Parts: sequence; structure tokens; C-alpha cells
Amino acid sequence: MKSIAVETIESDQWLTRNELLKQAGAQLLALTAFRGNRLEIHWLLPDGNVTAGALNWNGSGFPSLSPYLPEVAWDEREIHDLFGYVPKGHPDLRPLIRTPRWPAGFYPLNDDSRLRPIWVDMEPDNPAKTVEGDGVTIMKVGPTHAGVIESGHFVFSIMGENILHLDLHLFQNHRGVEKSLEGLSTEEVPPLVTRICGADTVSHQTNWAMAVEQLAGHQAPETRCWERIVLLESERVLSHLNDLAQIPAGVGFQVAHQRALAMKEQWQRGLLTLFGHRLLFDTVRPGWSAKGDSDSFLALVRAMMRDWHPWRSMVEGHHGFHDRMNGVGLVRRDDAERFGAVGVAARATGLAFDARTLMPLYQNVSVKPVTGGAGDVAARFKVRLQEVEDSWRILQAALDHLREASDGPPWTPPQDLAGETVSYSESPHGLNVHVVALEEGRIRRYHVRPATFRNWPLVALATAGNAVGDFPLINKSFELCYSCSDR
Amino acid sequence: MLWGVQIVGVVLAIGLAPFFMGIAQTVKARRQGRRGPSVLQGYWVLAKTWHKETTAPEFSSWIFRLAPSMSLAALILIVASIPWSGSVPSVWPHNLLVVFFLLALERFWVGLAGMDSAGTFGGLGASRVTTLGTGIEPAMLAAFGLLWALSGHTDIQPLAPELARRSLGALPWGLAALSYVFVLLAEAGRIPVDNPDTHLELTMMHEATVLEYSGRFLAQSQIAVAVKFTAVIALGWVWLGPQLASPWANLGLRLIELSVSSAALGWVESRFVKLRYFQLPAYLAMAAGVGMLALYLVVSGGLN
Repeated sequence: MKSIAVETIESDQWLTRNELLKQAGAQLLALTAFRGNRLEIHWLLPDGNVTAGALNWNGSGFPSLSPYLPEVAWDEREIHDLFGYVPKGHPDLRPLIRTPRWPAGFYPLNDDSRLRPIWVDMEPDNPAKTVEGDGVTIMKVGPTHAGVIESGHFVFSIMGENILHLDLHLFQNHRGVEKSLEGLSTEEVPPLVTRICGADTVSHQTNWAMAVEQLAGHQAPETRCWERIVLLESERVLSHLNDLAQIPAGVGFQVAHQRALAMKEQWQRGLLTLFGHRLLFDTVRPGWSAKGDSDSFLALVRAMMRDWHPWRSMVEGHHGFHDRMNGVGLVRRDDAERFGAVGVAARATGLAFDARTLMPLYQNVSVKPVTGGAGDVAARFKVRLQEVEDSWRILQAALDHLREASDGPPWTPPQDLAGETVSYSESPHGLNVHVVALEEGRIRRYHVRPATFRNWPLVALATAGNAVGDFPLINKSFELCYSCSDR
Repeated sequence: MLWGVQIVGVVLAIGLAPFFMGIAQTVKARRQGRRGPSVLQGYWVLAKTWHKETTAPEFSSWIFRLAPSMSLAALILIVASIPWSGSVPSVWPHNLLVVFFLLALERFWVGLAGMDSAGTFGGLGASRVTTLGTGIEPAMLAAFGLLWALSGHTDIQPLAPELARRSLGALPWGLAALSYVFVLLAEAGRIPVDNPDTHLELTMMHEATVLEYSGRFLAQSQIAVAVKFTAVIALGWVWLGPQLASPWANLGLRLIELSVSSAALGWVESRFVKLRYFQLPAYLAMAAGVGMLALYLVVSGGLN
């Protein structure tokens, strides 16, 4: 059993230690609360090692990190809502997930009883942060939207056609995934983990598989690794094709939109034939992953590239399209750093962080983080264009390797697995982290920190100062998932 | 005879308006690699909307209920002012300034409807539609100014014979036509000014003003959109296109021109993306500028 070593930190050291790690260029993996007044924080060091620190306290609360590390502001609000622990000194402790319908004192993750609470009968409205003054209008959009869009409530403070401030109210569909996972055995976990999110599902499944294999001290055979790389990259292509299709839709570029959707459809039909699922659900489990026929997959990749290149030339050569994207929805590089941005949104500001460069799974693959651009919509579009092509290159290499890779004997995780570990992967939206604690083969605590959760505050940041009519474009250039943030 | 052709023309133009829109939509779908719905889809949508429940927001007034009929009525009058037979029966309204103010009246009621729907998007749309109007009007005046400069009056009469008589050549005609296409795209709410196919509330202009409508009110505003599309195209052909001597042939020519123009507009729309909202004044200033240039070429007499 290989648990991760967790160092206990005194509360007066909590802030300094974490600030120093941030300054040293470490990437925050997760801030996780446990029952019994305990917090754990996991950092990914630039050399690929993970360091974990724990904080225990007596009394009502713990010292908040948010004033110094704004990236954990939402994490601490979530802990406050679900555990009832108070982050002392937090600048904005409005409810994040909690609604006034939850009875007072109901903290789902700090409660063993599993009793259903009695909902309070009242309007589920949380206070919004708005700008006040003459000529300022408050415009509320959602949570129900026109079109197939998940539930999110956006409160804009606008003046004429200018957005002054955007307050996000997500977590409209909190499903209690982390709570539901508690007490499940290792066989019962995969169907649930698969369904955390439809866009990053392979990444979530792989995280669970890697966590179990780490805890059991099992080294996945070569074949398994290449199969998982194939699945992860297939998912990246799928998600990026979707995002690349949605961005033109934001400016009425219907030709680029529909043609990209057609490519995505072709890709999904291929995935259905190869792996049995259009979104790659249930394709990775501890000790197992879905296998597709390499030859037909290679043929699919080549067919896709034939459609891809004309499409890419069309969008890259369209002056009006670029005019709409340039300088819109700007994220400055130091803001991206400060808020711990991950994935495409971070790389588009020039931050060269791609978790694949540190993941042991990818040690035999050369991944160069695609960076570049000014951090605007155009940069995020360009980064995705390049990443799709890189993924096809990786896919072709991985499929070649799969032909001669050696497979190990079948392996199933032991029934009495125990311990605690953290696993991470680069999902299409960025760094995706799972903190898993097992006891006698059952889940004691399962914390999911998806990339989109980390990036949502950046959407609000990038939106302020832009025109109202540009918001859909900005939002689509992040194309963040609600489902894995809400969980 | 003239009366008969004119009445048939008005009825056909209004009746076929959803069909002309359907042609544009079909061309757009083909350019996107889709088969697209039938060109008659507009009629099915109208039939569906007409039979749905008609509701009004709680805080809206009689303005909300009156607005769809008022804007539709203004547009029908415009269609009636168009000389479908080549020349207009004498007692029929056929003054360009009347058309001009009818367009403004239609916009006025659309804006009122948006504001009276008491929603955020309605107000946003009303603000955008009226702001755009202040740019469209000078651009349209500049384009129509050519007509006035050549004929000395503001009757809607075919311009082409005048152009031919003065043998001005293609330049003023081309500039005037270009200017009118810019104005037409803005007035009919097409890309690159407005996107009629979007579901994104925050980017809408005309659509945002009718978001709260349903049932028969919505159907009326859908008919109005189609009629406006048809009317502004037909208006362009009347003063810039060729005229035939026989009234019936002239009407037939107009209908063919409408079908071809609808297809061409669908193609043009597929080439462009929607402009930034804050760039629209520049777009309309360009439209006005091109129209003024055509006008200048004629008025300065340099070409006479």
C-alpha cells in the first residue's frame, strides 16, 4: 500500500508554507477538507513530485488562504458550504453551493447520517455582487438558457453596452457526487466517476484508475498506458473540436460552426464504433481500459485530417472572424498566474504549463505545451487549433506503439485497499485532480477538483470591460463545463 | 389593368415573403454543408406559431399588444407603395419620403414593443434597434438622394431609364447599388449587422425586442420580418433595376429578381461574420459615404 506522505503543518505556518510553494512555481492540485477539522493541500512541484500538507484545528475555523492565494477562494467557500468550517479572514464568504433551501446546520459532507434534509420552502436566490450607481443596469441571464446549455446564472452589471462586472452563480445542479461516492467499493466507483462530466470523462476515469493503481503499488503494463493515452487524446480532440465549433457560432460565423460540428460528429461516430461510446464513457477502470482496432482508428484519423486542413485554412484566413476575436476577453498573464488558471486558458496567456509533461503516464511521449498569444479569445482559439494537431500526432504514435507493446497479466484491485493518494491528468480543459482516501476497500473521502472549477473565476475577470454583445464569444472561448464544477 | 397588377403584386409579395426568406436560408444551409429545412419552412413555422397560446408579460400595456400590428401595417403600406407594374396608379401612395417615414414608424413600434415587454433583453434590443436606426436613416437618405437628384422629385419611379437617358455609365449606378446593399443588410437585420438565426440573447438586436412575444403576436412579427426583407429588396430593384413595358412582365421580373437576390444575400451572409456592435456606426457611415459619392458624381455635373 503506497499512501502519499502528508506532513502536518502548524496553523501559524499554514500561510507561509503555501505562499512559499506558490512563489517557487508549484502548481496547486487541490485543497481538500476532511471530517474532524482537517484540511489537506496538495501541490505539484515543477519537478513532478507532489507535496502534501495537512492542517488540524480545534474550534470553529481555520486561517483562510484566500487573501494571499486568490485561487483557493472558491475552494474555501465550498468547504464552508459543505463542511461548515469557517475560513477566518476570507474576503467573500457568500454561499457558493449552498442555497437558502438547505436547513441551517446541514453540512452534507460533514455528516455521517445520510438522512435526507427537509428543504426549506423559499426562493433559491443568493445575494449577487453588483455595481451600484446612476445608469447601471443589472441584467440577469439564466439559469435556464436558450439552446442546449447547462444551468448557470449570470448577473451582469452593465452600463449601456459595457459590462462593468459579472457575478457567476453556478452550482445550480449540485448532485452531491463526492457524498455519493463515500462508502462505495472499488467496483462501484467507475460508473459514477465516469459521469462526473461528459466533456472530461476519460480524464476523470483515468484519475480514478491511477489512484487505485498507485495505492495498490501496481505498475500498469505498457499496453494499458498506450491505450489510456489514445483515449485521453481522443477525448482532447473531441472536446477541442466542439470548442472550435462553438467559438465561430458566437459571432455568427455559421459556415465554420457547422463544418466543425460535422467533423466532431464524424469523430464521435468513429469513437462509437471503436470504443462503444460517443463520449467515451466507461472506457477506463483500474487494471483495464477499452481497446479499439488500431488500423481502423488510424484510417479515421487520416480521414479527419483531410477535412481538418481546409477548415483550418478557412478560419485562419478570415479577416472578420479574427477582428472579432482579437483583444476581446483578455486574461493577463499575471492574473492567470495569481488565479491559478489551468489548461488552454492559462497557456493562451503564455504560461507553459501542461500536466502531460509531468504525468508518469506520458513519460514516453514528447509533449510541448502550446503557448502563445495575448490571452484573448484569438489566443485561446489558436492554442486549441495547434493542440488538435499535436493530439493527432500523439495518437498516431501511440497507435503504432500499441501494435508491439507488451501486455501484462490481468489485474484487479485488492478488496481491502486502504490509504490516501492524489492523482492528476491533463483533461481537455486543463489540470484535473482527484484526492482519494480509501478504508478497507471503501471510499472514505473522494474530492474532485476539475479544471473548469479553477478557470470559472477567470471568465468573470475576462468579461468585465467588454461589450455586452461579446460575452457569448468570450464564454465560448473558455467553453467551461458546468457539470464537473457543480458535481 | 394597372390597378389589377398592383393589387396582385402586393398580395404576391406578402404571400411569398416567407418563401424568399426560405431561399436565403436554404443557400446558407448549403454553404454550411447542411441540407437545411425546406424552403417552405417559414410557412410551417408561421402555422405552428399562430396556433400556440398568446401570452403577454405581467407588466406590459396595450402598447405591447398593439405594436405587432402597427409594425406589420407600416410594412404592408411600404409594399403597397412599390410600383409592381412599373408605374404606380395615380391615387396610390408612391412617395419615397412616405416609405422612408414608414420604415422609421416600423422601427419606432418595434422599439416600443421591446421596452414595453418589461424585460432586460427587450430594453437592450430596443436600444440597439433605435441606435442602429439613427445610422441607417442618413445612409438610406444618401442612397435615395440620387433618385431625387436625377428626377427632381421624390416619387418612387424607376431610376434606370433616367440613368440611361443621361448615359451616366456604370459608376454612379454601381456606387448607389453598393450603398443600398449595405443599407439593406442593416435594415433587414442580416449578417454582418444582426444575426437572425442566433439563440444568444446577448447578441440579439431585432430578436431581443420580440423575445417576450408568443402565439399570434409572434406570428405577426415573424411575418413582419419576412415582409420587410422582401420590401427592402424590391425597393432596391425598383429604382436601380431594369423596367419592362408590360405591367405583367414587370411584375414577373420583380419576383424573379426577389428570388435571385434572396439567394445572393444568403451567399453574402455566409461569407461574413457579425460585426462588433461598436463598429456598426463605421459600417453605416461607409454606406452613407458611398451613397453620397454617387450623389456627388451626379450633382456636381462632372458627368453631364
